[in-house]
Amino acid sequence: MLVALVDTRKDFEDLSSTYLLVAIAVFAVVALGCLFLLLRFRAGRRGSPSSGEEPGWLPFAYAGFLAAVIVVLLVLTFSAQDRISAKADRPGLRVDVTAAKWNWRFDYPAQGISQIGGDTRPTVLVVPSHTDVRFRMTSIDVIHSFWIPHVRFKRDAFPKRYTEFDLSFSGTGYHTAGRCAEFCGLKHDQMTFNVEVMSPADFRAWVARKRSEAP
Amino acid sequence: MSTIAAPRGGSLMATVASTDHKRVALRVMATALLFFLAGGVLALLIRAELFSPGYQLVGQDRYNEIFSMHGSTMIYLFVVPLALAIGVYFVPLQVGAAEIALPRLALLGWWLLVGGGLTMWMGWFTQNGPGDTGWTAFDPLSDAANSPGDGMYLWIFGVMLATVSGLLLAACVLGTVVRRRAPGMTMLRLSVFTWSMLVTCLLVIVGFPVLLVAMSLLFVERQFGGVFDGSGGPINYQNLFWFYGHPVVYVMFFPFVGAVGEVIATFSRRRFFGYRAHVGALLLFTALSTSVWAHHMFATGQVTVKYFSLMSTALIIPGGIEYLDLLGTMWRGRIRFGVPMAFAVGFILQFLIGGLSGVYIGSPPLDYHVHDSYFIVAHFHYTLFAGSLFAFFAAFYYWWPKVTGCFLRTGLGWMHFALLTIGANLTFFPMFFFGYDGMPRRVADYSSQFTDLNRASSIGAAFIALAVLAWIANVVVSLARREPAPSDPWEGHTLEWATSSPPPRHNFSDPLPPIRSFAPLLDARQPASEERAR
Repeated sequence: MLVALVDTRKDFEDLSSTYLLVAIAVFAVVALGCLFLLLRFRAGRRGSPSSGEEPGWLPFAYAGFLAAVIVVLLVLTFSAQDRISAKADRPGLRVDVTAAKWNWRFDYPAQGISQIGGDTRPTVLVVPSHTDVRFRMTSIDVIHSFWIPHVRFKRDAFPKRYTEFDLSFSGTGYHTAGRCAEFCGLKHDQMTFNVEVMSPADFRAWVARKRSEAP
Repeated sequence: MSTIAAPRGGSLMATVASTDHKRVALRVMATALLFFLAGGVLALLIRAELFSPGYQLVGQDRYNEIFSMHGSTMIYLFVVPLALAIGVYFVPLQVGAAEIALPRLALLGWWLLVGGGLTMWMGWFTQNGPGDTGWTAFDPLSDAANSPGDGMYLWIFGVMLATVSGLLLAACVLGTVVRRRAPGMTMLRLSVFTWSMLVTCLLVIVGFPVLLVAMSLLFVERQFGGVFDGSGGPINYQNLFWFYGHPVVYVMFFPFVGAVGEVIATFSRRRFFGYRAHVGALLLFTALSTSVWAHHMFATGQVTVKYFSLMSTALIIPGGIEYLDLLGTMWRGRIRFGVPMAFAVGFILQFLIGGLSGVYIGSPPLDYHVHDSYFIVAHFHYTLFAGSLFAFFAAFYYWWPKVTGCFLRTGLGWMHFALLTIGANLTFFPMFFFGYDGMPRRVADYSSQFTDLNRASSIGAAFIALAVLAWIANVVVSLARREPAPSDPWEGHTLEWATSSPPPRHNFSDPLPPIRSFAPLLDARQPASEERAR
């Protein structure tokens, strides 16, 4: 039984637009506020500057307002966090990820397939769309980070440690880029991989072809 | 009573051995600003390499050294020492003390900074080059197998020396606030800037020893191995590093926001708004900042993300109160829009971009995407460069007449401000976009889809270089053709304006004015307001 697919991209976009809206509103208020204050209270106007103290309740009321904003932001963040860190009871595909200076290896244990690239040819991660893919990741040397910008997600790969997470890919028949995001030494900038998202039927055909090619 | 004769004015001995806090502070600042120029040259090399995809100017290897030394220089050798040096100069003056506490330790603080900086930079002359694992030096990338060579050792020793330097300087400033306050200067009459230095010193004392532990362990790991092979593994290094690494963010922020508070109050000709709220906000900031370090580690998948997201997002409260106070101080003031005020307003708006993007990345689902991308580079350059550095320049134009007894040129000052505002935003704003679209930080080569925005950013860096030249020109002209400044040119509020410019060896030759609030000189000027404020 599959729980709801983890759609990191959609959760990211929804949350991001809310945060962005709040940020733009705050910036606009402060910027316009500064402009107003600089014009309204510029030197040369009549009267003397304020000499009183502000009301004592003001900072507390203001802190209460800010706390309410924080609660709203965190409720949204935590619910998105729960959705994207959810794991399916039975994932549709398992992929073992091995990161090494400066390349990637993707193993499909159930299918008996290994994807390994070369110096000039990045490794290709082939995944079926609309399927919960369980990644199990490690590194054989330093810390790397598995980042697919298109799905708005990354996770670090540590040596001597396995990290598991689920992703799903919506849409079919497209390529996108993935890469290492954690600085890992000399050729960090070349540590990329390609992602090919296929329909489940195409993926099955690809698996069959790969297995027939195998020696 | 000292039995050692004070070294004379301009002699070499006075330059290297004077324990006058003002001279120590100026030497720390001069050292830090030289490292700022050196780190700035590295930044220009980075932007030149990134003008186009592929490798043009420097290869991958050299590029990794350059960005690592850029970050390390700017943080360990520039912003932190600069922030503390401003306190070493002005805190004794603002609390009405004749001398800093522990002056010989302050002098040692300067020497250790010089030694640490030179040690780190000596790495360029070693066979494998200087430290090249970023300013963070995560294990295992920084271990002996992955980063062989003496440059990495020199980097570790340099960081340790600079860290001890910071601890000593902070201890002196803290001791001055605790023990050397003038009669009448109660804790709630400390100036806005002195309060910000006080909490800065608390954070140094909490965070910096942990960095010394991390660096010591890294040294042992490189020499003997086995340190980070235990049950936690390399994440232990990151926990130690960021337990220092987040408090230090506020060490690089508090002194500058405090200075901006003084500038805005003086240039608005009114009492700082919400003084008690400011003190409370600083203390809340300080407390929270020891519990937010793992927001740098969301993507590791090995930290309790909700807790650290909650604590980090809660920083909105003290941050918001600081902003209310800064804007409130302009409210019903009579604002003179001089160069210091322009830099202060630049700080308010640009730091806000850094702060709001900080709220954004305090949310783990958002951070999972933008972490380690250029979005982060944009975020912290908006806080540090477009924020703290603008605040430093506000303080620089504000306090220069006090320190030197002469004015900076207004025309060059506006040119400096305009060029720096254009440069900072043109350099750092595009980074939000190409970072969001998938360009990682710490790469010499990138996908051609990011070329146009990278070019804009590199052109912005050239504007920054011009702005720095305009600033240097202003300093040179000001010193070469002096326009003498009186002791209190801006009608300041705090005690440093009650003495001559520059202040005498023991700071005050005349009796101090009565201290009945955090703005004693304003009280003297507006007796009526003092009545109401009390």
